[in-house]
Amino acid sequence: MIETAVAYTLAIFILLAAVATALFRDVLSAIVVFGAYSLGMAILYTFLLAPDVAMTEAAIGAGVTTILLLLTIARTTRPSTDRLFERINVPAVIVVGAFVLVLGTLLPDMYAVGTESAPIWGEQGVLTETPSLYYIENTFSDTGAQNAVSAVLASYRGFDTFGEAVVVFAAAIAVLLVLKREVFT
Amino acid sequence: MIELLASRYAYALMFVLMGVGMYMMIANQNLVKKLIGVNLFQTAIFLFFVAVAYVEGGSAPIVPTEGAPGAMASPLPHVIVLTAIVVGIALTAVGLALIVRIHSEYGTLREDTLREVRADE
Repeated sequence: MIETAVAYTLAIFILLAAVATALFRDVLSAIVVFGAYSLGMAILYTFLLAPDVAMTEAAIGAGVTTILLLLTIARTTRPSTDRLFERINVPAVIVVGAFVLVLGTLLPDMYAVGTESAPIWGEQGVLTETPSLYYIENTFSDTGAQNAVSAVLASYRGFDTFGEAVVVFAAAIAVLLVLKREVFT
Repeated sequence: MIELLASRYAYALMFVLMGVGMYMMIANQNLVKKLIGVNLFQTAIFLFFVAVAYVEGGSAPIVPTEGAPGAMASPLPHVIVLTAIVVGIALTAVGLALIVRIHSEYGTLREDTLREVRADE
């Protein structure tokens, strides 16, 4: 019971941090609040039983992203401002509100968070041999790793992780090309 | 209504966060804040995946060396989210490099000013 109370509180904290990020006019304030948002998200992931994701989010979301954003405003400008908050753009609010309302109508059709009748665990509440159950049951005998997440990441789906490294490499090359001002003629 | 929100709070939070991220992309004129909006939108979708994998009363996906594993969160969505986080940071880095370049070319980070400068050329 206490866990759900903490999760709800975290959800409200995350929501407030997100709204503050959107509304702060000063970019530096927005970046700092966005770091707090990532931290709240990382803690919520731990409550949702995803410690690996939480660690990655805390290191990359709250850490590296914040550093990159700060470096960017250090190299460019941070517009000076006298107002604390942005003006609210009413047409954008209407469009986004319609989008969220349409998504919200789907909410009653979604499975409750944490129920075992969700499709990921098999059809109609019967625990059948879904991929999730296969990995949980066979990870240790197949790979010898106890952490099912790292087993899937590095062993079962090792080539996907290699592809991910290729993406990061391509991104690094793109950043270098953009910043070194190569001219293609 | 309250019960619906309480049992599906992660999904409701995801919808609202997607809205906030989208609002930042549309309404904020500063390019850096637009990119923060992209990141916010992404984390909302990560939350969806993690919430789908969650099982009540379970444990984190660390399997015991012997004996039947009890109820635990599904490892598969966690893996895809880890991959997506790393790809997301790569995307952010390229976007920020482009922003730095735009600033050195045009001397502004605001979309409306940028449009005026480009119209004058």
